[in-house]
Amino acid sequence: MKKLATPFAALALATFSLSAIAQQTRADAEKDPVLKAMLAELDRSRDQLQLKDFEKPFFIQYRIEDVADFQTKGDFGASVGEDQHHQRVARVTVRVGDYKTDSSTVRGDGAVQLTALDNDPLALRASLWQATDQAYKNALSAYAQKLAQLKQVQTPPQSDDFSRESPVIALEDPVTLNVDGSQWSKRVAELSGLYRTDPALKATEADVQYATAIFHGRAVNSYLVNTEGTIVRKGTTSFEESFAVGTQAADGMHLDRSYGSNGETIKDLDSSEAFTKHAVKLIASLTDLRKAPLVEEEYHGPILFSSDASSDIIHEIVAPNIVATRPELGTEARTKGAFASSYHARVLPEFLSVVDDPALTTFKGKTLVGAYKVDDEGVLAQTVNLVTAGRLENYLIGREPVRDFPKSNGHGRAAIAGAAHPAIGVLKVSSTDGIDDSELNKRLLALAKDRDLKSVYFVETLGPELTPRLLYHVDADGKRELVRGATLDDLDQRTLRSGVVAAGKEPYVANYDGAVPETILAPAMLFDDVTVRRANEKNDKLPFYPPPS
Amino acid sequence: MKPTSLAALRHLPGGIRIGQIAGSCALLLFIAPSVTLSAQQVALPPLLDTMSTELTRAMSTLGKSGDPKASEKQIPPYFLSYSVADATGISIRAQYGALADSESSHQRVVDVQVRIGDPKLDNTHGTHRASAVNTLQLPLSDDREALSRSLWLATNSGYGSALDNYLRVKTEAEVRAKEQDTSGDFSTEQPQVSIEKPAPAPVVNKAVWEDRVRSLSKIFREYPDVYQNVVMLTAQSETDYFASSEGSRLASPHQSARLVVFAVSRADDGMDLFRAQTFEAETVDKLPAQPELEAAFRELGKSLEDLRKAPLTEPFNGPAILSGRASAVFFHEVLGHRLEGQRQRGDEEGQTFTKEVNKLVLPSFLSVADDPTRTTFGSTWLSGSYDFDDEGQKAKKVELIQDGVLKTFLMSRLPIASFSSSNGHGRAQTGHVPNGRQGNLIVTSTKSVSDAELRKMLIEEAKKQGKPYGLYFEDISSGFAVTTRNSPQAFSVVPLVVYRVYVDGRPDELVRGVSIVGTPLAAMKRILATGDKSEVFNGECGAESGSIPVSAVAPAMLLTEIETQKQQQGTQRPPILTNPSAVAAAATPAAGKGN
Repeated sequence: MKKLATPFAALALATFSLSAIAQQTRADAEKDPVLKAMLAELDRSRDQLQLKDFEKPFFIQYRIEDVADFQTKGDFGASVGEDQHHQRVARVTVRVGDYKTDSSTVRGDGAVQLTALDNDPLALRASLWQATDQAYKNALSAYAQKLAQLKQVQTPPQSDDFSRESPVIALEDPVTLNVDGSQWSKRVAELSGLYRTDPALKATEADVQYATAIFHGRAVNSYLVNTEGTIVRKGTTSFEESFAVGTQAADGMHLDRSYGSNGETIKDLDSSEAFTKHAVKLIASLTDLRKAPLVEEEYHGPILFSSDASSDIIHEIVAPNIVATRPELGTEARTKGAFASSYHARVLPEFLSVVDDPALTTFKGKTLVGAYKVDDEGVLAQTVNLVTAGRLENYLIGREPVRDFPKSNGHGRAAIAGAAHPAIGVLKVSSTDGIDDSELNKRLLALAKDRDLKSVYFVETLGPELTPRLLYHVDADGKRELVRGATLDDLDQRTLRSGVVAAGKEPYVANYDGAVPETILAPAMLFDDVTVRRANEKNDKLPFYPPPS
Repeated sequence: MKPTSLAALRHLPGGIRIGQIAGSCALLLFIAPSVTLSAQQVALPPLLDTMSTELTRAMSTLGKSGDPKASEKQIPPYFLSYSVADATGISIRAQYGALADSESSHQRVVDVQVRIGDPKLDNTHGTHRASAVNTLQLPLSDDREALSRSLWLATNSGYGSALDNYLRVKTEAEVRAKEQDTSGDFSTEQPQVSIEKPAPAPVVNKAVWEDRVRSLSKIFREYPDVYQNVVMLTAQSETDYFASSEGSRLASPHQSARLVVFAVSRADDGMDLFRAQTFEAETVDKLPAQPELEAAFRELGKSLEDLRKAPLTEPFNGPAILSGRASAVFFHEVLGHRLEGQRQRGDEEGQTFTKEVNKLVLPSFLSVADDPTRTTFGSTWLSGSYDFDDEGQKAKKVELIQDGVLKTFLMSRLPIASFSSSNGHGRAQTGHVPNGRQGNLIVTSTKSVSDAELRKMLIEEAKKQGKPYGLYFEDISSGFAVTTRNSPQAFSVVPLVVYRVYVDGRPDELVRGVSIVGTPLAAMKRILATGDKSEVFNGECGAESGSIPVSAVAPAMLLTEIETQKQQQGTQRPPILTNPSAVAAAATPAAGKGN
């Protein structure tokens, strides 16, 4: 039984934003030399590209990303150098066949070419011409292979290969990268040397094994045109300052701390004073961590995760699974991932809801890096209600449909030069009856009392793979003690569905400035049964000889 | 093992961040003579002084803890060296007639070498050779505290890995049968002290050179069938600092500039065709003037268009001339790599020449030397020049083959049965353990004739063998030299421009798709005579110890017999639509030509 579940609210919003910027035309676009060259070559390919006795492409898309990067790094109080790059990369997608069955494969198709930095139309077109030729030839052979594979399976595909979308013409202003490089180099050099210069940190100086600070600024102008008439120009900037420091405990265990501040403009970053304060706190925490006792061997019971830690859990467990991607050929599956069969089923407790809202550009004054207006397939971003009262009611999807989801909801997102895949933008988790931190803490202690536990745990921050970085052992009267060397078990879809007993009020803003920028807004969460275990990892030897004094 | 400056460029389309082509080879070149001094007598620049202090501290502390519990398995290193490459570079790249990128960089990288055990058997033995080196980026300023902390970090982890490998080497030594070559792992050498001024930063007028590189790339618009091209200028200034526990203290500058062009076409039957050319000088202002470059680029473009139309080759076994440039590549690949010292020991190596010392390996009119101390050949700058090798040994001219008789090998500090010490050819790219490598390989001949005479000899030889034609190899590109035991002892250089020289007086005919096959030693012994003018090939050579700049110099050679077959490269059709530059050149848009 087929049932169309179109998010009406989202559609309405899309129509609204479309009309807001619909006055722009191809003539406006052609004032931009890059778009003009792209359109000229696109027209030529659309009209003329065909290999004798083979199909013409039914869809061609050109994307050019103009990427300017500046990065500077400091180690141990001195600069190790600056990197400055400026390049343009073209990615060409050619589809052969039709919307129902085309040449696309799971890998993400297309050809990539470095293209001209100069706005020289012939040079821009030459690289597009090369990439188009390659992409078309690849598409022809992929299409033949696809048709052969379809003959091998009994169950037909559950949906079309490519969605039909209305063309969009949206031209944002281009951006440039403006960075005072030498000032930032000086700043990161100083940050990386705080352990040497800050009087409060004298005690840690001999123990610091690495201290690194990095500043990275990036400006990306992306240009997209396709044979359906879509023309998009987007300009985004992003800046990030980060600091990392590490040592080993007396038993050889590696202790690592890191902090980052990021945003769309340099003004969004922490002030020098605020960042320095954070860095000093991080370095000082190494002393506490070195002294911290090892976690107990095994614990099962309630754990409170701060909003910071909860955001990482959502990013790791929910974000990758609420996207809809084409399932294996010949199966009846709707999509892939942990929530593949969870449509309309409960995936979170009833008091939690999840929305992805790429239109949310700031939250309480903080810029959200995951925000965007048009996705990387030229589809207007839509707000998608994913989980309502605990039930999964929607998926994030790009232009490759799955069963019951024939259209993109504007979440086809791409890394630079990469193929677009569905991904979150700004994912917001909220609770209908959120409580504040002190109330959460009381609930944690109450759970301990109910279960006759002498102590419970509080996780303040998580590192890679949801490994606790700051984990506190909490005794019956609420006293917290830092412990180290723990891993967490049982943090999975099942625990999220039935193990969250309360959530906080205020979400944490977690900006993930990765290949595709993403933001998670999530409140603190109290779990009633999670496992804390001693990691028992092999510890490296302590330094064979002391550092220079 | 290919002498090509283009290895990196081939992968260009598709990569987003392309690393600096100007590698961080620790290469040295300068004219000032180095006087033998002791380290105490000279004032060291701050970086070298910090290296020296931290090195001394590490040697006196590592494995010498007073705590009996802590030192249970800690063995002091017997050798420690710091080799820092401080490199400033500029690279400008254009393709399709427009700039693709223009970047500059400055970085310092240290290779820490730790040796544990003794020179007879240490942590680098056999397959553990890579355990000698640990690499880390260093601060750019002369902040001693930051520098020494970084050096400590790299030394500490280098020591850990050396220790681990040494314990495994010892266990393996106990369980295996006696090795064929029982030489030690590290030769005894004199420490070197030579402090020269740092290399000045490269002086490149960016705007001017961006224009020049861009307009050179634009030349290919005149040749629309050349559907891809890359033109790249790199200029690098590097100062190499070296300190060892034996007392070596070196500061040695080196500068280089290189312009590379790489152009691609495809024949209608799908065969990929390419040409490449490099221009080298010490600094950019000494590179050829623009009109000279333009002429060379036009020639390259035209040769590709000619090649597209050239007939396919047929399998051939007969006489051939290699041009000087082609001979230089041939000698670098076929001979040079097999004369590297480390290839004479180890179970994996083919050891073609190991037992040939003092025997005739080439016709007696040929001699081969490797001379890194030489900076030019005629007016051509040699890119394989250096003052000290990457183990801190003084560069030396080495007579490898005299009058056809093999005399020695290219030696690093890894001893082999027949030779126990370095001859200043231990070379490596940053991050690699130095091996015996070529610098400037120079082939000389006492049986040389004019080009016209050589051609006449070719025709006579072809007639004698009953062949309708001989071959003339004008240009050869990179191949690979396989020297290991489990692969056939073959080489495969890629001939780019080959002509048939007919015996009946017909004009020479360009052919495409030629590939050389056969065994190297046999091919070399079939040299009948040489030309009287030598040509230089400058390029980057990649092998186990990384990519390093090299040169090869040789005269044209007449071989009585060379075996060729059809090359099997590429099956894709040429582009379906016409090059946009050709469309623009025509007044009206042309239709797709390839249907």
